[in-house]
Amino acid sequence: MIQISSQKRVLLGNEAIAYGALSAGVGIATSYPGTPASEILETLEKHNIYTEWSTNEKVAFETAYGAAMMGAFALTSMKHVGLNVAADPLMSSSYTGVEGAFVIVTGDDPSMWSSQNEQDNRYYGLHALIPVLEPYDPQSAYQLIIEAFKLSDRVKHPVLFKTTTRVSHTREPVELRPPSKPILGKFIKNPKKYVLVPENARRNRIEQLKRWDMIQEEVEKLNELIDEGSKDLIIASGISYGYVVDALKEFDIKANVLKISTPVPVPKKLVIEAVSKADRVLIVEEGGPVVEYQIKDILYDEGIRVELHGKDLITRVGEMTPDKVYYAFSKFFSIDIITDYLQVPQDTPPRPPAFCPGCPHRSSFIDLKKAVVMASLRPDDVFFSGDIGCYTLGLNPPFEEIDSTTDMGSSIGLANGVYRATQKIPIAIIGDSTFFHTGLPALANAVYYKTPMLVFVLDNRTTAMTGEQPSPSKKIEIGDVAKGLGVKYVKYIDPFDTNTSIKVLSDALKWVKENKEPAVVIAKRACALLVTRSLREYELPKAVVDLNRCTGCSICYDYFTCPAIIPRPDKKAEIDPLTCIGCGACVQICPFKAISIKGEKPEKWDELWLG
Amino acid sequence: MVRVNILIAGIGGQGVVTAGRIIAEAGVYSNVKVLTSETHGLSQRGGAVNIHVRIGDVNSPLIPLGKADYLVGLEATEVLRNLNYANKNTEIIINEYISRPVLPKIRPLSLDKILDKLKDLKVHVINAEEIAIKAGNPLAANAAILGYLYSLGAFPGIEEESFIKALRTESNIKAFKMAQSIVKVKSL
Repeated sequence: MIQISSQKRVLLGNEAIAYGALSAGVGIATSYPGTPASEILETLEKHNIYTEWSTNEKVAFETAYGAAMMGAFALTSMKHVGLNVAADPLMSSSYTGVEGAFVIVTGDDPSMWSSQNEQDNRYYGLHALIPVLEPYDPQSAYQLIIEAFKLSDRVKHPVLFKTTTRVSHTREPVELRPPSKPILGKFIKNPKKYVLVPENARRNRIEQLKRWDMIQEEVEKLNELIDEGSKDLIIASGISYGYVVDALKEFDIKANVLKISTPVPVPKKLVIEAVSKADRVLIVEEGGPVVEYQIKDILYDEGIRVELHGKDLITRVGEMTPDKVYYAFSKFFSIDIITDYLQVPQDTPPRPPAFCPGCPHRSSFIDLKKAVVMASLRPDDVFFSGDIGCYTLGLNPPFEEIDSTTDMGSSIGLANGVYRATQKIPIAIIGDSTFFHTGLPALANAVYYKTPMLVFVLDNRTTAMTGEQPSPSKKIEIGDVAKGLGVKYVKYIDPFDTNTSIKVLSDALKWVKENKEPAVVIAKRACALLVTRSLREYELPKAVVDLNRCTGCSICYDYFTCPAIIPRPDKKAEIDPLTCIGCGACVQICPFKAISIKGEKPEKWDELWLG
Repeated sequence: MVRVNILIAGIGGQGVVTAGRIIAEAGVYSNVKVLTSETHGLSQRGGAVNIHVRIGDVNSPLIPLGKADYLVGLEATEVLRNLNYANKNTEIIINEYISRPVLPKIRPLSLDKILDKLKDLKVHVINAEEIAIKAGNPLAANAAILGYLYSLGAFPGIEEESFIKALRTESNIKAFKMAQSIVKVKSL
């Protein structure tokens, strides 16, 4: 974030959302980390309001919801799939409404840059009867989040604010207003509203629909018809608006444009006005036909028949791109659009993300595979039930120790089912933050039903993948939690201590086989990024290869695959001193003892890695 | 109004996102609209990343296929991966640096092989690491690339002063200036 003047700053979309919320008077903000939503709370936590990284999205949602029940201006932000975790209180919040203002930010990820699906969370608005506001760039995100708080405050109803990866992670200059005084609540008891027993819920249902009617009126003024006097109408929602404006300029086309900032509910009067002036309509929206279905519904009721295109010309798959708009325009306006571009050579080597130099997960996967063999099992006969975090990369060769990753906490839950269906002992692999997120109930279930499985917790002391947000593991020992839940076999390993780790893990597998109940092993070593961040001022030690000892066996670069280890043309290994952080994990891996560490360990080195 | 599209590709950790931020910041100092779109999250962990930089009269973050005026590879192979954003007139700037994908048994393409695939295109090869090391910080390679782009006229309306302000550190500024003096080292 860069200050240009008191008014204009270069901001990431997510930063703009945070600054808009501060201008609107947000007093309490909560989140669980998830790309592309993480930078919203990261920005807010630098300001003087109450913020927290909650243990999961449901808790984050409820914390903000509870605050809004007391009259606070509250915000909760999460990635799109996080809202699934919070869907239970989401539905209730629409029934009860709130006293203050309650804005729920969902960061959708069309094209799945960092997600398991590309669900379109505007559908939650239709499902829960909660209005959805959708910006198209950082500047509009800043302004629209302020409108979201105003709308929620006026109607006393939650408001969903939908951003996407391309809005959240685009940077542009944004005009800012100064922050407002944070609005906190006062003590309010209103059980007739907030206790959703049937009698109250039935009354709330009627009130909810009354508020929905008010919302339909309120959203009219948040949308805009740009009338060029044309008989062609483009209706564009969210980020599609920017692409439509650029494409109209590019091809010098005149058309009326209805810019939709509230895809749920669409502004009925403005839609009727805009369509009445048109002969032909093209709806450009990312994801599902959320705007299209509503507009078709309105036009049917009004008896208006026009030629209307939408998802027949714009795919549901992936994020909006200029090329998708070009294709739709070529059909809708019957123009030739020739895109002349070069082809990506087919033999370009793939470059998936990889474990960082010093990543403890790399060592954990190496140790685990050896332990499986030591326990007289074959790795291809063991189900490795994975979870969501950097360790999902254990899917890739040479590890190939992740057989499923579906949703947060799923490793232990799916392992339950895998065992029941096959009677083969599965290994659930879960990170520390994910363990607290939704691993706990599944582990309680495994203990209660005595499901034989090895739960391998990769505790790297942080929520790493999303940018090193805090994890409860720093204050709550996972081993104590597991013991408290009734797990009888709980052990810790340092994954860099390869020989001991292999022994502990294989003993644990044997114990599960004999005792037919779950065991927990915790690999405790900090994320390398977390460690090196604290040591920026220090010269780090480096690994070096003794070329007289190195035989070129390739184990370190083909089997261990640290990015800092480079094969030389003669197949011997060398270490890239710019990439190596001197962690020492490779020293034990070399069967010929050719790798050693040179240089002094900085002060606090061991504490940072193992504390 | 002028519009310039620059696609910068590289590997997570190389300073690709930072390069975009420097251009965006320099743009504001010179009152030129700059939109940059970044890759965050898991992909950043040593994987292929790119940023779309759009300067001037633009309202949307992504560059259409074939419409990059400049295609930059902070790592040479990554130019190939993003070649569909280029057309035959695109200025292609390649850093000599090649990084091996962290997968077993995968061998990287050599610079000669990469250049061979770019025959008849407008290719510039520079050694940004060498410039960065001479400037006093091996991490200033992205600043060197920006200096080279600047000398090609890639940033209409953005003054050198604005870049100097946005580059902040002495080694960055030095790399930026040094790279400007090596105009068109190797044009194929």
